[in-house]
Amino acid sequence: MTTKARAHPRKAGMLASIAAAALIGLAPMAASSADAVKLNFWDMIWGPPEYIDAAKELVGEFNKQHPEIQVEYRSVPWNNWYQTFVTAISSGTAPDISTGAGYQAVQLYDQGAIRPIDDVIEELKADGELDDFLPNTVDTLRYDDHYVALPWGIDIRVWFYRKDLLEQAGVKVPTTWEELRAAAKATTKDGKYGIVASGDTGGSHFLYNAILNNGGGMFTADRKLDLKSDRNMEAFEALAAMVADGSVSPASTGYNSDDRRAAFNRGQAAFTLDGPGLIAQAGAEAKNIGVLPPLAGPHGDKATIFWVNNIMVYEQTKHPDEVKTFLKWWSKNQLPLWTKGNTGQLPTRKSIAADKAIKDDVARAYVLNNYVPIGKTTATNAAGIFPALNDVEGEGAMQSFAQELWQGKPVGPIVDTAETRLKSILKE
Amino acid sequence: MTVQPRLAGETGSWRASARSWYASGDALPFLLLAPSIVLMLAVIAYPMLTGFMYGFSTGTLLKPGKFVGLDNYLRLLQSPDFLHALWFSLLFAVFNVIGCYVLGLALALLMNQDVPFRGFFRVALLLPWIVPSIVSIVSWRWMMADQHALFNQIIGAFGGSPIYFLSDQNWAIAAVIVIKIWRSFPFMMLSLLAALQGIDRSLYEAAALDGASRWNQLRFVTMPQLRNISIVLCLLMTIWTVNDFDTPWLLTQGGPANATENLVLLAYRYTFGRNDVGLGSAVSFITLIILMVLVVVMLRRQRER
Repeated sequence: MTTKARAHPRKAGMLASIAAAALIGLAPMAASSADAVKLNFWDMIWGPPEYIDAAKELVGEFNKQHPEIQVEYRSVPWNNWYQTFVTAISSGTAPDISTGAGYQAVQLYDQGAIRPIDDVIEELKADGELDDFLPNTVDTLRYDDHYVALPWGIDIRVWFYRKDLLEQAGVKVPTTWEELRAAAKATTKDGKYGIVASGDTGGSHFLYNAILNNGGGMFTADRKLDLKSDRNMEAFEALAAMVADGSVSPASTGYNSDDRRAAFNRGQAAFTLDGPGLIAQAGAEAKNIGVLPPLAGPHGDKATIFWVNNIMVYEQTKHPDEVKTFLKWWSKNQLPLWTKGNTGQLPTRKSIAADKAIKDDVARAYVLNNYVPIGKTTATNAAGIFPALNDVEGEGAMQSFAQELWQGKPVGPIVDTAETRLKSILKE
Repeated sequence: MTVQPRLAGETGSWRASARSWYASGDALPFLLLAPSIVLMLAVIAYPMLTGFMYGFSTGTLLKPGKFVGLDNYLRLLQSPDFLHALWFSLLFAVFNVIGCYVLGLALALLMNQDVPFRGFFRVALLLPWIVPSIVSIVSWRWMMADQHALFNQIIGAFGGSPIYFLSDQNWAIAAVIVIKIWRSFPFMMLSLLAALQGIDRSLYEAAALDGASRWNQLRFVTMPQLRNISIVLCLLMTIWTVNDFDTPWLLTQGGPANATENLVLLAYRYTFGRNDVGLGSAVSFITLIILMVLVVVMLRRQRER
């Protein structure tokens, strides 16, 4: 080695100069990178593969604008999401900030893992930015006198119909539950059914939609279970009547939401209940699918189930101020998640909802204008969301209820079974 | 002054005995086993002990609750969900063990003969075991999901009405069992084939000289020779079936109306759906106890014979 170095003194000298220059040149960059606060941001997968690319790009943009804060993006799949977060929190490796489904923040807050963002809400209010959020969104995430998360996206269930099947049956687009029942009956023929539902979590959404649409709700004002209220029972009976008519596909019990969507897109049923992204994902069949106007229940009520998905800050973060900076920036600059990421969520900010890309999507714009204002959570009629809602939706009691309803079993006994199970979950 | 020499002496004697133990060679097996034992304690014993303790408390994975003694176990014994899951686990295990054993044995006997394309069939019959569960079970779902699926096309071709296999409790139970048998028989077949090939041919020659028919050769030569491996295989299959999560979850998610929910699915639902770790742990430990009792009883009976 020594011999070689001696043999090329000029080359060795040149290399040393380059190395020294590089060290001097890189020094400020290395120091800056080392000094930057590192944040971990876990984001659920809210759309097709391009969503992740768009979100990563957006994080990159933040990092560029804020060299003193460097955010690391991690995409989290929905499978076993609860285990993923719980394991991370209990092992002390929780992210600084994450997105999550409707009741994740309130559930984790109750277990001491979430940092309230009352200060962020105050600042947004002072800046006048809070008015940019759609009504019915920010306050949905208030629990125990604290704001536990900031809304970013809305998931909602709306009724879709097949234009071709209604046309073939000579049926006009229904606007009430009564008309829906008649239309479903009229389109049930030739191996096709009026309604296709499913037996998974998506199946339980039919139940939530029905009771809320009829002015009912799962709870009383003091968060006690109220499953057997008159309005709820009337709604369940209305669904059961459609099953008794033979209008609901008998495969519904065994279908999961993907099967149900596929059957609807193939034109095997005239109506289904789904999220606002259904038409965008229907490919060539999109032209045959329309959104029903919000249906009026027997008493004239109009409502549907919705979830305000959110972004939350974790107690384990060591950099609350930097997290706050990122949270506010992300909330304000997330338009590319729709324009590039094609997320199926609806925006919670009026400024994003007003963007041309959103407005040009006729179905999405229709849902935003007509369904979101009448959206209600599973917590209805309780005062705000609460932690047990995650267990109520996740445990499967309402799922089993839906499965048995699609099988045509009498409503009374299956409501009793569901009530017993739900009371056990709620420890009533 | 008096203490220090005594301590030094004790340390010296401890070191001396350790050295002599090491020199004798007796320490080597323990040293070789130590890494595995430490690993097993960390990844099996510790979680199991923690889970066992959870069974006596309330709370969630993040927020420990209070000690409730045997309350979780008593609640389970009165729970219709638990009793149903116990019954279904039993049904699932019995039918699967019998089904995959009979099918595996029949195919092993066939593959032990000099049949054409034997090599091809041996590989082809292993496919259900090799294919990832998500692929095979989703394929089965497609074949039985609704009136347009393959099975109903076949039924329709013979003039029958469609059967909604996944929408009816009884059909769903049958479907879960059949698919589990389909996924399990290759292992039985492969193990029994290996055992068949190890049977001394002279036993068959002697039986043939005594005028034994093929049936009697199977009954009095083959089956007794397969007895030990059959017991082990059936034990293993029982454990794997009771612990099977993939088949009922991917096919029916335990539905319709919890008809195909076994003990493992119930433990999962209680722990992660209901967020009740105590109840979920109690289900897991009851499952473990049932399996341990079964294993001990069967191994004892085998030893007695």
